[in-house]
Amino acid sequence: MELVDSTQQLLEAAMRGSWQRETALTSNIANADTPGYKRQEVNFETELQSAMNGGENLEQVQFQTEVQPEEDGPNGNSVSVDQESAKLAENGLDYQALTQVLSTRNSIVSAAIGVTP
Amino acid sequence: MGLFEAIGIAGSGLTAERIRMDVTAENLANADTTKAANGQPYQRQEVELEQAGVGGFASALSGAVQQAESGPPPGGVQVSGIVSDATPDQQVYDPGNPEADAQGYVKMPNVSTVTEMTDLIAESQSYQSDVTAMQTAKSMFTSTLGVLK
Repeated sequence: MELVDSTQQLLEAAMRGSWQRETALTSNIANADTPGYKRQEVNFETELQSAMNGGENLEQVQFQTEVQPEEDGPNGNSVSVDQESAKLAENGLDYQALTQVLSTRNSIVSAAIGVTP
Repeated sequence: MGLFEAIGIAGSGLTAERIRMDVTAENLANADTTKAANGQPYQRQEVELEQAGVGGFASALSGAVQQAESGPPPGGVQVSGIVSDATPDQQVYDPGNPEADAQGYVKMPNVSTVTEMTDLIAESQSYQSDVTAMQTAKSMFTSTLGVLK
């Protein structure tokens, strides 16, 4: 087994994707009152899945921030602050779960090579 | 993608909402001002918002580099201008007022206190959602730093 295996790379890529989603969601909330603004989203799970199935190098995967073609309100703005807040909370917890898993894996490797944490 | 980009974006939202609250406060303060700088009744001011980083060289370059058909990268929000509301002044019948015309009508500002108060509530709630977004980004940083322990 390599020290940096595919699970490790997958975790790193997912953390990058989650971080990018955080940026997009924050932008949506900041622009909640901007006329004509269309909400942005990062569907990194789908892109990561197809990268895994295609056997791509996970460290090279770039995620797209996409503008969502959704129905908009009277001023052309498609942001709903409550939905964005819910997504933001969900994404934050996802990210913390990822860092926990990464942390646990690191401590397993540390134990194996005899480094006391 | 910068590490602190999300915090910067939330910060731009805070700035924009604060400016909107400043302008709303000015409207409320001048709700009864019959003589503004130009001698006319005060005119209600309104803030125009726009998505930051849409125009200009930086976004054009990053758009070309990413070959993105997906629109501009997230760049927060900015105030594009503060404009006067063109709604006509209110005419109030008050013959005792020194500003009254021959028929006894006074031109009062086109400020509606109810509109301003509801705007103020909306602005303060938007401000709070920006704070929440910033806190989420901060706790994500903290958990990243936790990996290094």
